[in-house]
Amino acid sequence: MRYIFKFPDIGEGLEEGTIVEWHVEKGQSVKMGDSLVTMETDKVVTAIPSPRDGVIAAKFGKVGETIHVGSALVEIDMEGVEGEAAVAEVNKPEPVEEEGAGVVGTLEVAGNNAVLSASKEGVSQSSAQGEKSARVLATPVARSLAKESGIDINNVKGTGPAGRVTKDDIIRFTSDSARTSQKSASYVAPSQTGENLTEIEPLSQMRKTIARNMIQSKHNAAHMTVFEEVEISELDRIRKKYKEILSQDGIKFTYLAFIVKAVALSLKKFRALNAEIDMERGNMIYKKYYNIGIAIDTPKGLVVPVIRNADKISVKEIASQIQIISDKARDGKLTLDEMKDGTFTITSYGSIGGLFAVPVINYPQAAILGVGRINKKPVVLNDQVVPGLILPLSLSVDHRIADGGETARFVNSVMEYLADPVSIIMD
Amino acid sequence: MFNEYNPIDKKVFQVIDDKGKVVNKAMMPSISDEKLIKAYKDMLFARTADLQIVSYQRQGRIYTYPPNYGQEAISGAVGALIGENDWLVPAFREMGAMLAKGVTLKELFLYFMGYEDGSKFQKAKKTLPISVPIASQLLHAAGIGYEIKYNKKSEVVFAFVGDGGTSEGDFHEAVNFAGVWKVPVVFIIQNNQYGISTPTRMQTASESLAIKAVAYGVKGIKVDGNDYFAMYKAVEESIKACQNGEGPVLIEAVTYRKGAHTTSDDPTKYRTKEEEQQWELKDPLKRLKLYLESKKLWSDKEEEKILPQYKEEVDRQFIEAENYGPYPKEDVFKYLYAEMPDDLKEQEKEYERFLQWKASKVK
Repeated sequence: MRYIFKFPDIGEGLEEGTIVEWHVEKGQSVKMGDSLVTMETDKVVTAIPSPRDGVIAAKFGKVGETIHVGSALVEIDMEGVEGEAAVAEVNKPEPVEEEGAGVVGTLEVAGNNAVLSASKEGVSQSSAQGEKSARVLATPVARSLAKESGIDINNVKGTGPAGRVTKDDIIRFTSDSARTSQKSASYVAPSQTGENLTEIEPLSQMRKTIARNMIQSKHNAAHMTVFEEVEISELDRIRKKYKEILSQDGIKFTYLAFIVKAVALSLKKFRALNAEIDMERGNMIYKKYYNIGIAIDTPKGLVVPVIRNADKISVKEIASQIQIISDKARDGKLTLDEMKDGTFTITSYGSIGGLFAVPVINYPQAAILGVGRINKKPVVLNDQVVPGLILPLSLSVDHRIADGGETARFVNSVMEYLADPVSIIMD
Repeated sequence: MFNEYNPIDKKVFQVIDDKGKVVNKAMMPSISDEKLIKAYKDMLFARTADLQIVSYQRQGRIYTYPPNYGQEAISGAVGALIGENDWLVPAFREMGAMLAKGVTLKELFLYFMGYEDGSKFQKAKKTLPISVPIASQLLHAAGIGYEIKYNKKSEVVFAFVGDGGTSEGDFHEAVNFAGVWKVPVVFIIQNNQYGISTPTRMQTASESLAIKAVAYGVKGIKVDGNDYFAMYKAVEESIKACQNGEGPVLIEAVTYRKGAHTTSDDPTKYRTKEEEQQWELKDPLKRLKLYLESKKLWSDKEEEKILPQYKEEVDRQFIEAENYGPYPKEDVFKYLYAEMPDDLKEQEKEYERFLQWKASKVK
């Protein structure tokens, strides 16, 4: 009869321990209470005694290795325990692993990844979704108010310290959802003709994510937008010339590739636009890598794959990558890795339509550049009205991070690169 | 005695020294040899059990446990003197007194395994359950004392608290109330030097804990809590005082927690080896044993013979507790109110759903 001794939670909510020293060897006889191993945990360094008499059949883990609570520590061969006794042994209750009652008290129990919110303890549906694995921080009054109002506190966005849900958040959430439910109630009202005028579809995961991200951005960032026009005849000339050449390599040469490069180079000069603010710790995080996200319209919704280190790679390489990620985006084949770690985003809607826009920042980035439709327009050059090619730009910044002056200087820099593309290779 | 050892005079009541030699003959209580041997054996059994329980906890077989190790003389003295009709109001480090009242080890094991039945003592009368919320039990003790006085009974209440508990509001309310109404309660502060990791000097600006008795207008005494005879005498005199309507009494029993606060605590983080070694010299069992040996009442031979029996008995009761059967789910909800209120009923339902969900997760 073999008994697997699992590392117990010896300290009210421990998750793991490190092996400090083994006191037994494989093949050694032990009695109940004999010390097996010394473990170091967050709470104590202590010897773990054997719970059974027998012979050590196996040891799991070497000195210095981390053993999780509930993982096997040793296997004990229990001599002479056979037949009925062996069955009884198997049926013995498992060692205590969770729900630690304690003298100092345990508020939360961690076990089986089941971290539950207080208001919905034991309700499986909300926990099964996975995203809500962390326990929501909330004040006691907010919790009780949420419970009274029948609100799942997990759905409430906290505005208190460290995202703590406050009483006001619950009140706001309650009135918001009251409004929403009124609206939807009027939508589903049947029409006079009996014809159903609405169609209700459940939100896709993607739509939910987009909605959440947009709200998060609008809620947290202080949006400020600046509009500019840049004359790009020179850029157009160069693009036309190289378009032919690059097409031989199968690369579609777009204005966007230049814009990405111009942005990356400008971000290097104006670091605030490539920063992130950490209000909680009171830090500004300046990123020294320049990963430019490209917002791409797909049938399912908006996705933002990232061109990595756009400052270091050639315009040709950027063009090639844009093509690859655009194709993947439309086929829904982007991986998570291809969409993470962006530091700045460009949304280019001009090919579809629209001159200016007030783009929503891809939070927590500092800024987003909107690229509108290129039009032929009369421009004044040397006091002469001549035809020009005008590219409209709309830059939204998080005004908490970037001031107006810095923003304008950044836009100027982008414009200079685009008006005089040769300067790109000069830097 | 309470005049002679008025806490204001900063005296500590002691009868035997660290070598087990009588240094205060006038105050030596009269205890028969037989009773004295029994007292030592009871303390030895409690210590044996205590050490084994810590081992069970490390094996993952019980939950958190607060060791008694080093404080056995206090519970031992109370255990020897407490009557069947007297009340025991424990905190959570009074195993010896609980066993003396008739609580079984098996019941204590059940308690530390989380069973409500661990507080349903089959034989021990007038014994309150272990109280984890610090000092809250003292209010119950004062209330029980009030009932005794009101009904003119001769019972005495023994209420325990630690040094840390004296900083709680409940301590003040209980001792103050007891003093005003002169109720028969013996408040025993087990001053084991630390409230978890807080040393007593950080607990109060008072000269001692016993001196607080002066402010409440009650009898008080500071006793060497590792001196069995001193504890015995102090408890004996306290019972007399209570029975004469001169209660309550506040005893500060100075001792040392040789173990950790609980199995979740690591005392090496806040105290030194030197300090532990100093207190080792004052170990209560060692001192009583030295005295017994000097009177030829006890020997290592007897101890070596009896220890394996004790260990076996502790294991036997533990295995019994371990095979107690599944925990009745409704026990969590059923004991606070005579009739379960709606919110508890709702919680019970939620808990059922949780268990179902958990079962589906574990498979």
